[in-house]
Amino acid sequence: MSPFYSDDKRRELSAKLLIWLAARASRNQSMLDRLCLWLVDRAMRRDPDEDFMRDPIIDNDQGFDPEELDRYQRGEK
Amino acid sequence: MPAPVPFDPDAIASAKLIVRPAKDGVTIKRTICSTCDIACSVVTESKQGRVVKVRSSDNPIFRDNICMKGIIAPKAFAHPDRILHPLKRVGERGSGQWEQVSWEDAMSDIGQRLKKVITEHGPEAWAVSTSQWNTATDHGLGRRIMNHVGTPNWISGVALCAGNTAAINRLTYGWFPMGDFNNTNCIVLMGHNPRRHSWTPIYNYIRSAQERGAKLIVCDPRKSSSAERADIWLPLKAGSDGAMMFGWLKVIFDEGLYDKDFVANWTVGFEELRKRVDEFPLDRVAKLTGCDPDMIAKAARMYATSGPSIIPWTPITDMQRNSTSAIRLQSILRSVCGYVDVAGGETLQGFNPDIVPESTIEMHEVLSEEQKAKQLGSDTHPAFTYRGQAALREPLKRVWGHEYVNQVTGCYMANPSATFRAMAGEGSYPVKAFFALGNNTVMSYANMPLILKGMMNQDLIVAHEHHMTPTAQLADYVLPGDSWLERPWLTDAFGWMSAYRPSEQSMEPPGEAKSTWEFWKHIANALDRPELVPWETLNDFYDDRLKGTGMSFKELSETTEIYFDKPVFRKYLKTGFATPSGKVELKSSILEDLGFDPLPYFREDPPADPDYPLQMFTGVREDGYFQTAQRQVPEMRKRAPEPQIFVSPGTASEYHLGENEWVTIENQIGKISAQVAIKEAMPDGLVRVPHGWWKPEMQQGAGHLSGALKYSDAQLCRDDEDYLDREQGIPHLKGVPCRIIKSPSGNATKTEAKV
Repeated sequence: MSPFYSDDKRRELSAKLLIWLAARASRNQSMLDRLCLWLVDRAMRRDPDEDFMRDPIIDNDQGFDPEELDRYQRGEK
Repeated sequence: MPAPVPFDPDAIASAKLIVRPAKDGVTIKRTICSTCDIACSVVTESKQGRVVKVRSSDNPIFRDNICMKGIIAPKAFAHPDRILHPLKRVGERGSGQWEQVSWEDAMSDIGQRLKKVITEHGPEAWAVSTSQWNTATDHGLGRRIMNHVGTPNWISGVALCAGNTAAINRLTYGWFPMGDFNNTNCIVLMGHNPRRHSWTPIYNYIRSAQERGAKLIVCDPRKSSSAERADIWLPLKAGSDGAMMFGWLKVIFDEGLYDKDFVANWTVGFEELRKRVDEFPLDRVAKLTGCDPDMIAKAARMYATSGPSIIPWTPITDMQRNSTSAIRLQSILRSVCGYVDVAGGETLQGFNPDIVPESTIEMHEVLSEEQKAKQLGSDTHPAFTYRGQAALREPLKRVWGHEYVNQVTGCYMANPSATFRAMAGEGSYPVKAFFALGNNTVMSYANMPLILKGMMNQDLIVAHEHHMTPTAQLADYVLPGDSWLERPWLTDAFGWMSAYRPSEQSMEPPGEAKSTWEFWKHIANALDRPELVPWETLNDFYDDRLKGTGMSFKELSETTEIYFDKPVFRKYLKTGFATPSGKVELKSSILEDLGFDPLPYFREDPPADPDYPLQMFTGVREDGYFQTAQRQVPEMRKRAPEPQIFVSPGTASEYHLGENEWVTIENQIGKISAQVAIKEAMPDGLVRVPHGWWKPEMQQGAGHLSGALKYSDAQLCRDDEDYLDREQGIPHLKGVPCRIIKSPSGNATKTEAKV
């Protein structure tokens, strides 16, 4: 008998629920989809001070100007 | 795989959903970054027809899964040195003399020359190397055309990175599992160190799981950032993964911590395995691994009793002389503890029934048995070749509905070293035509001198590339490849998962850059086999594959970020496992039939050589680079301007090495130059050699290769039998004897730099 067998059914249901929620949230078409997206978002949001995914490079929100990229591609300074 | 969803009531109470609004003049596309192998779902913003920003997805499922390489992609792909038009070699091979030609002229000549090679030497004289990580995919078309033409000689970096792991896992339970990070209670990292800017989603999953209370066990010689956060850190000797897992099994068996029902009903070979495990008492394992026996036992108990636990794929165990046994031991640990195909454990996902997989596109069934038997290396190291995987054909069909299942593209490969020997004229037959797609071949496998010899002995070399890499410099044709910003994509993690994600094209390719799909369509036409790629466009091809969903690719892309299959666990209760016995093969009937030890074993290091007193490991990448790429991107190069070896303060002191000092690292087959970086995290006697270093600004061409001959770690990677895994024939990169020579001339000088 698996040592975690008693939790197995609950865990399976939880896993299936997560997949169902993620699938609905990823569609974002109907009200139900949007509700699922909202739920997922609320569940995953973290206090910024405790968010291990925060990162200065990412938070910088870096973008480029199309003309700047054109010039760069042409080798111009 | 969606990111974990911890239902924290406090988080729910204080959360708000924020979706960034579209700005005027900005086109937004949901896409998948392919700058590295991890495939983060991201968003691109375009202005005036070009991508100006890459940011993380608005969908919380992919929360912040983006790294510095993805953010800089719009500029990286606008690099002035990017190859935008087909180039034909006009001087001697490697002379660096090129002329611009049209795609039509290039393909016409390539077709004629390839047909000549096939006529003179047979179709098996054509070999292809491609890293699907870099090209995102070649849609199965490369293998499809090769199979119809009659060559089995396809190689890839996945021979020592995930693809081989997929093939070896299948010997035990018939599929390559994906860990369920969302629901697991314990994660084991074998040398792997996912970080914020490297394997980002995996880092995210692990940290999230730890927040939920999951345990983390890290086996790593270095005190890595993951080791610092671990519940248990086992600083094992480099290359001793197999011995460590034998120790765990010894504890688990002796203390009865395994799933006895599962072992009794669903495994074969338990008694024989147990006898083998008994050869590894903890004092022996402690000696082999250098770890404290009590800590080994504690880790084994944590893995077995915290369950369900996962041992995610690791590139470290992929690259060892005991790789096959060590990967099998991981599979065995998962199995005997009852963690296979359960929620929170190692999921066997199978194929999504609504979508045609690339395995089907590849059409391995059309390659004759006679040609399959010619696959290079399959006679001596068959594990991931057609020969090694042949016994799985019927079980795969029985359980998963497909006779040929090419997971992570790694299950029907030729052996790289054998292929390069054939290219160099040292094989049982010659290879005279070589294609490299998104693959810097000369720096991506062991024994670089042999690879160079093979390259210089070819009648035709074609490179499909972004930049003039050391490999492209030796080609007859360099054809411009597109980037992930410039093409659509549909991914199921290379057959690893049953969920698909679509990726929208964000901009048109610059110049005459083309996708791998177009490349292979051109090749089919050039070989007078247009029927092999009957679809007009890549979108038509996707529409065809998606018919079962009732959606076109456009509809899927616009409405769905992840197309899931309904999860089902413990499927083996109905189907059995996709192995010859239908059970988990602790004792592998396939390995036994191939003439190998059917049980895992541990081959100890060859006797120490006093001339090479240190041990090195390679294959590790820096955050700003993916393998050999991005050295020409200023923003990335600024972060890691020079190749650096890592040594401990103790080793630095013993060998009188200073921070940033240039040295030469040598072993019996080669030498490279690098700077010294002294790191507290490194153990004494071990040297970390960085992977994939060349300098695009240095002199190109044979004899130089833009610094690859000076810096590339592939020159230190051995492929003699002592340093090859027996069953797969892949090189041992984790614990290779070496020495450090103080060298004032390691760095590039002005005279070497390209003017």
